[in-house]
Amino acid sequence: MNSSLPPSVSRRAFLKTSAVTAAAVAFPSIVPSRVLGQNAPSKQITVGFIGVGNIAQGHMDTLLGFPESRILAVSDVDQAHREAAAAKINAGYENKDCARYNDFREMIARPDIDAVFVCTPDHWHALAAIEAMRRGKDVYVEKPLTLTIREGRELVNTARKFQRVAQTGTQQRSSKRFHDTAEFIRNGGLGKLERIEVLIPANNKYCGATWQAEPVPAGLDWDLWLGPAPWAPFTRQGCHYNFRFVLDYAAGQVTNWGVHYIDIAQWALGMDESGPVEIEGKGEFPSTGLFSTATKVDFTCRYANGVLLRCHTRYDGVGDGNVRFFGERGWVDVSRSANTASNPAMLKEITARAGAIKLPLSINHHDNFLSAIRSRERPVSDVEFGHRTTTVCNLGNIAMQLGRKLRWDPAREAFVDDSIANRMRERSMRAPWSLA
Amino acid sequence: MAEKSLLRPGSAKADKKSEFRDYEEWFVGTPDPWKEIIRLDHGTDRTFGSTVRSMVLNAEPAQRPAMEGKLLEALGHPEVTDVGRMFVCRMLALIGSGKSVPALSALLENTRAIDAARYALDVIDDPAVDDAYRAALGRMSGPAKAGLIGSIALRGDVKAVGALTAIKAANGEPEVVRTAATRALERLQAKS
Repeated sequence: MNSSLPPSVSRRAFLKTSAVTAAAVAFPSIVPSRVLGQNAPSKQITVGFIGVGNIAQGHMDTLLGFPESRILAVSDVDQAHREAAAAKINAGYENKDCARYNDFREMIARPDIDAVFVCTPDHWHALAAIEAMRRGKDVYVEKPLTLTIREGRELVNTARKFQRVAQTGTQQRSSKRFHDTAEFIRNGGLGKLERIEVLIPANNKYCGATWQAEPVPAGLDWDLWLGPAPWAPFTRQGCHYNFRFVLDYAAGQVTNWGVHYIDIAQWALGMDESGPVEIEGKGEFPSTGLFSTATKVDFTCRYANGVLLRCHTRYDGVGDGNVRFFGERGWVDVSRSANTASNPAMLKEITARAGAIKLPLSINHHDNFLSAIRSRERPVSDVEFGHRTTTVCNLGNIAMQLGRKLRWDPAREAFVDDSIANRMRERSMRAPWSLA
Repeated sequence: MAEKSLLRPGSAKADKKSEFRDYEEWFVGTPDPWKEIIRLDHGTDRTFGSTVRSMVLNAEPAQRPAMEGKLLEALGHPEVTDVGRMFVCRMLALIGSGKSVPALSALLENTRAIDAARYALDVIDDPAVDDAYRAALGRMSGPAKAGLIGSIALRGDVKAVGALTAIKAANGEPEVVRTAATRALERLQAKS
């Protein structure tokens, strides 16, 4: 399969567009890399941000240190976030060039931006990324890739249709520890693999049984923040950061943390373009209050080869997850802080990388994305992989809500003989928003 | 020794039939979640909603038509809140059938209820939904119309191509509607 992706804008087309727009808008004098080609003197990849809250800070810090990229603009529906991000970028470049937008659609209309980072709340990921790709941008989409299974498939289809580079923000694939462990498992390092245990942190925010609407703060475009989600009045508890505990906007710790570790399990299993065939679980969901995502997560997937993957909540206060693989030779465990094994000698085998199967090696997720933009090859966390991992999380969430064993056809991306579960793969959007 | 009577104090009736009736009164005195859901609102206790949702999710296929009937009853209640209506529509999005289409289609006339109606109608696999959507195209305007066009596109209703082509070309339509029509046509023409 040829996975090379062409740049979307020809030099002639760009210069024509630029001539029209130059009179109306003064852009910084950075020329996007795709215009000049890989070997041009200016190889800077120009970047815009959609959403510049909490999770975007690390991305901006990293890119500010990369001479091969240049952040030109930020968009955010919260003026406070927007201004703070622009100030940070301007300080980093020692100028005042960073443009600010309330509506991301105005930002991605700029022809001088090559790529965007989508760092919005989860319910916006699909729409923002799809819109950006339709505008010819390559995209880095924060995890979880999408809110629903259908959104994920639509996002992947759009990336392929418009031949865009699309990286999922599951950056553990660019960590050598995770890479080497996944590769060890993939090469049969544990002998026959039997089961996988994924631990994820418990919710770290709480609220009461009722809540009150509050005035929308000055500078926050609440209607655009809600976007495709059902209309609801503003409340601080349900906005920045905490949105992840409201099912209208996110799927809780299953997708917040689970997606990172299930992603490594999928990689190790060789299931990057597939998934499990059965799922069952018992979660606990708040029956009242603003928060609606699971407070206790426990679901198990079975893959076609018989391997079981269990994902469940830890209550030891550790704010990290981990994934532990069990096989004939014992177990190995990997997290962001450590690599452990039932037999410490296996740790040397993991780093020796003696197996015949070599997984793609990336040592920096941002660099991998920028390199993919130049080469037009697929990145290490291509959207198809991100979609399949997010799907496992969503399958778990659906199974926990239904409380019954579900059969899943990963080729058709459909449940077998369960109409309710199939309807839970998607949800409608508030007008005028649509995946179409 | 005679067993102590379980009748409430003050009850004069001692036969078993009336004893049962007394208990029945007590039972029906508790709130019915299927009726309480019409009062759901932002920020209030949503326990009755959770109860109904749990029943819907766990219902056997044979039990769903009766539940659909109860949901339609709530939907038609004159005092249903906007939040209650959205909740009911989201439940119908799980178990709604062709039986729900007339009531849901009627909501497309109510500007406060269009999004809620689409929530349920979008996933009901019945050609009556497509008929209702096409009929509503001519009556809607602005963002609501754009949303409806998106629903038509995602359902793959190729019968709407003619109407959408006209909307795309209509100078009087706002940009959001024309863009929605353009994208819907891209999708539908790729399908046909």
